[in-house]
Amino acid sequence: MKEKAREVKLPESGQWPDRIAPVVLGAGIVLSTLGFLLAFLWVGPVYGASVDGVELIGGSMVSQMLLISQKIFYFHMPVAIVSFIALAFAAYYAIRFLMTKEQRFDSCSQVAMEVALLFVICTMITGEMWTRFEWGVWWTWEPRLTTYLILMLIVIAYFILRNAVDEPERSATYSAVISIIALIDVPICFMVTRLIPSSIHPVVLREGGMTADMGICLAVCLLGLLCVGFALYRARFNQLRLSQRVEAMKQTLEEQQ
Amino acid sequence: METPKRPSSFAQYKTLLAKDLRQEFRTREMLVSMGVYALLVIVVFGVALSFARPGEEFLEVSAGLLWALIVFTSLLGLNRSFSHEIEEGCLEGLLLAPLDHGVVFLSKATSNMVFLLIVEAIAIPLYWLFFSSLAHPAETGWLMVAPILVGSVGIAGIGTLLSTITVNTRGKDVMLALLFVPIVFPLLYACVSATTAAIVGGDLMAESFMVSLALAAGYDVIMILASWVLYDFVVGA
Amino acid sequence: MNPILEQIYSTVIPSAPYVIAAYALIWVALLVYLLFIMRGTKKAQAQMTLLEEELAAQEAKRSAEASLSTSAALGEDKVS
Repeated sequence: MKEKAREVKLPESGQWPDRIAPVVLGAGIVLSTLGFLLAFLWVGPVYGASVDGVELIGGSMVSQMLLISQKIFYFHMPVAIVSFIALAFAAYYAIRFLMTKEQRFDSCSQVAMEVALLFVICTMITGEMWTRFEWGVWWTWEPRLTTYLILMLIVIAYFILRNAVDEPERSATYSAVISIIALIDVPICFMVTRLIPSSIHPVVLREGGMTADMGICLAVCLLGLLCVGFALYRARFNQLRLSQRVEAMKQTLEEQQ
Repeated sequence: METPKRPSSFAQYKTLLAKDLRQEFRTREMLVSMGVYALLVIVVFGVALSFARPGEEFLEVSAGLLWALIVFTSLLGLNRSFSHEIEEGCLEGLLLAPLDHGVVFLSKATSNMVFLLIVEAIAIPLYWLFFSSLAHPAETGWLMVAPILVGSVGIAGIGTLLSTITVNTRGKDVMLALLFVPIVFPLLYACVSATTAAIVGGDLMAESFMVSLALAAGYDVIMILASWVLYDFVVGA
Repeated sequence: MNPILEQIYSTVIPSAPYVIAAYALIWVALLVYLLFIMRGTKKAQAQMTLLEEELAAQEAKRSAEASLSTSAALGEDKVS
């Protein structure tokens, strides 16, 4: 067991990621707050439909409606990206688990999946708020919405599956398989809902193109939320390891008695 | 002294498949229950559509209803396909034999697909018979055979992996549905699109039939490869 | 405020609740998860201290027993 541990370096609480975790958390809080402030105070507004006149605001001529709802986008897209990165990490640790059969990697995979679920829920919330205001409905079967709904359902099913198997080894293997399948399934889902030319469901296209200030704000938010995600991952991982050590200690004490 | 030659993978596959088919055709337990279940789903659709006006509009939803029928029926079949293996301890015996687990997967997936296709061959004509008063499919309607074949292959492939997982869990029937429906969603979407295109015909047909079919086939290839690789870990656990 | 300006800013007030809700709900979701982690950590730490005390008590008991018994018994104890 010890020799095996020497071959495969196992993630453990207190290693280098934990030493940088407080700094990263601080950076995450600062950057996401900065991103939030930039989104509302610095980035140029986005205009929508035209109005019947022109008005001079802050030195430029404006003839379109101001879209405040677009500000949701600065957190919505980074949150979605972070959720997908967390999903990719969950699948990576799942592969490591299947190759080494070390319970530790399963814990990593589980925690990454939890972070993915958290950020998927955040994505759904922000997306729903924007959809509700802009399109006037709570739900449409638009490719991105559909993909995220499916992703959320798979992640929820993953946790139900974890709790429905009693043997730890088996539960770990099954969840590893599902997290790999989820990572494969989600891009296919997006491709399929996007590529099929559908005359039944209108695909809503937003006029694209980001200005430089929008890009910068988005990057700051993304970086901040990545840091927050990482800090949450480490905190949860440490907590899980502590609980596992408590369980192990209980067992040794019971054996001694 | 000569050691007995190890049978080839293909021979193993044939033996396992023949075993499954023989077992099923002797009792016809699963085929009958799937067939009756499909009929019951059609009855439920009949109630649901009892106030619908006959007309071309029905064609646009009929493919979706047809696939709902296929999904529910296949869920029933997939749930049953492993439960009798577990009940009689057959799976353990099978895994003790010096077999490649990939062969077990392929044979099981093939038998699931054969049963699904048999049930579909009965249920789909029945579906059109019962709803022929509402609307008739376009001339290209027979092309829906292609998405149904591609969809059945995919459902059997990923469904076999998932039913092997869920057969060992608590509340396995619900668990299978929980995993199966979201994971198979892209395939379902592509197949519904292709089937609708075939039934409605015209411009829609030319526009989206081939794309949808190609995407469904792509899903099949990727997911069956992934299931084939992962199956070894699943049965080994 | 003139009518054109009114039109330009017409979406600001209606969209405000949704924008605020979106940001607030992200914040709430993150906070709930953080509280969940902190509660778990606290519980695990409390259990850990209890277990450590228990372990220390057992060790003390055993070393007292060991010092009373003979060296042969001590050898046996080490094997087990």
